[in-house]
Amino acid sequence: MECKQAVLLMHDYLDEDLPLEQEAQLKSHLDTCPECRAAFRRLEETEMMLFAANRKSESLSVSEDMTDRIMSFLPQPKKHSPAWSWIRRHPALTAAAAFILIMVGTSIGFWNADTQLVLKGNDLNRVQVEGNTVTVPEGTIIGGDLTVERGELRIYGDVEGNVTVIDGTSYQASTAHVAGQVKDINQALDWVWYKLGNIVSEVAYK
Amino acid sequence: MDNLETRLVKLALKGDQRAFAEIVDLYKDRIFHLAYRMLSNRHEAEDVVQETFLRVYRNLDRYDPGQKFSTWIYRIGTNLSIDRLRKRKPTYSLDAEIGDQDGADGYALIPGDNRTPETEYMISETRTTIHEAIDGLPPKYKTVMILRYLQELSLQEISDVLDMPVTTIKTRVHRGREFLRKKLESQQH
Repeated sequence: MECKQAVLLMHDYLDEDLPLEQEAQLKSHLDTCPECRAAFRRLEETEMMLFAANRKSESLSVSEDMTDRIMSFLPQPKKHSPAWSWIRRHPALTAAAAFILIMVGTSIGFWNADTQLVLKGNDLNRVQVEGNTVTVPEGTIIGGDLTVERGELRIYGDVEGNVTVIDGTSYQASTAHVAGQVKDINQALDWVWYKLGNIVSEVAYK
Repeated sequence: MDNLETRLVKLALKGDQRAFAEIVDLYKDRIFHLAYRMLSNRHEAEDVVQETFLRVYRNLDRYDPGQKFSTWIYRIGTNLSIDRLRKRKPTYSLDAEIGDQDGADGYALIPGDNRTPETEYMISETRTTIHEAIDGLPPKYKTVMILRYLQELSLQEISDVLDMPVTTIKTRVHRGREFLRKKLESQQH
């Protein structure tokens, strides 16, 4: 073993961090190298003195009234509500919850956004619109889908596609004939599903 | 797993002021010694003690019971002391040294247990050499040496307090030890 490495091992030994195997190697080196033996003794002495010199200073103590002084300095106990400390302990969950809240908030906001009638479909010139009421007159044939948002739909004639009523009401007279499906959507959640379905089908058709 | 400190913290969090006073009693001297060795100034060290406990109190709800309480409070006390060391103007530390010579640093005045005046003198001389040597070290070595030899923390605990790898702490202890060895040798010759 070289003396340089021996010095490193000496320090590890003093740190009480030297594996037994290496300790044996160090010992055998010290047996053969008087210089390292002397160096080790000095290091050991230094270590002991370092501990001893500092330990005695335990008799140095802080002012006796320190505890009282600190206690008088303390601000009034903070009253954290349990919710607040929960938030501080779970930042990730809080962020997720906030995200969901905003998402739901905006979709509902969207849903309630306006009260105007929206009419979508083919052959819109053939339907009659009065206020919020949309009428498919008797004998009229609408050659495709018909969608009414926030309105009342009255069908007396024929619709060859699907009929969708969102947030409104529909009425079919005995003379009415709808070739496709009739869908009534009145709730926010249904509306979301409907929108999602639209996106999916749009993508699918492209 | 519920040790004394964790129980006291829980009580203090519920607003029990006496429990917090007990935490102060448990740690005030240790933090004071740490700060005093770091700053060599009694007044500043007491300020650090007060600030440390104020911070502990304010952040009590953030204390993680999975960590040793001593590690947490040492970290706060060490950081406050290092901050003060860094903010110091060079002339200030000189003033502090001179001002502290007689009163506050009372090591030499404390009577020994069974020692003759001569051995007492030698020991206090060695002690002074060691304290002065540590005091003269750059803050990063000084902190490690004080935590190791005054607070008698293990290398792992020091690494937790300072949030540094154990290997870094080891290197600093080794260099500090070599430095002190040379200082003590030059004193003997």
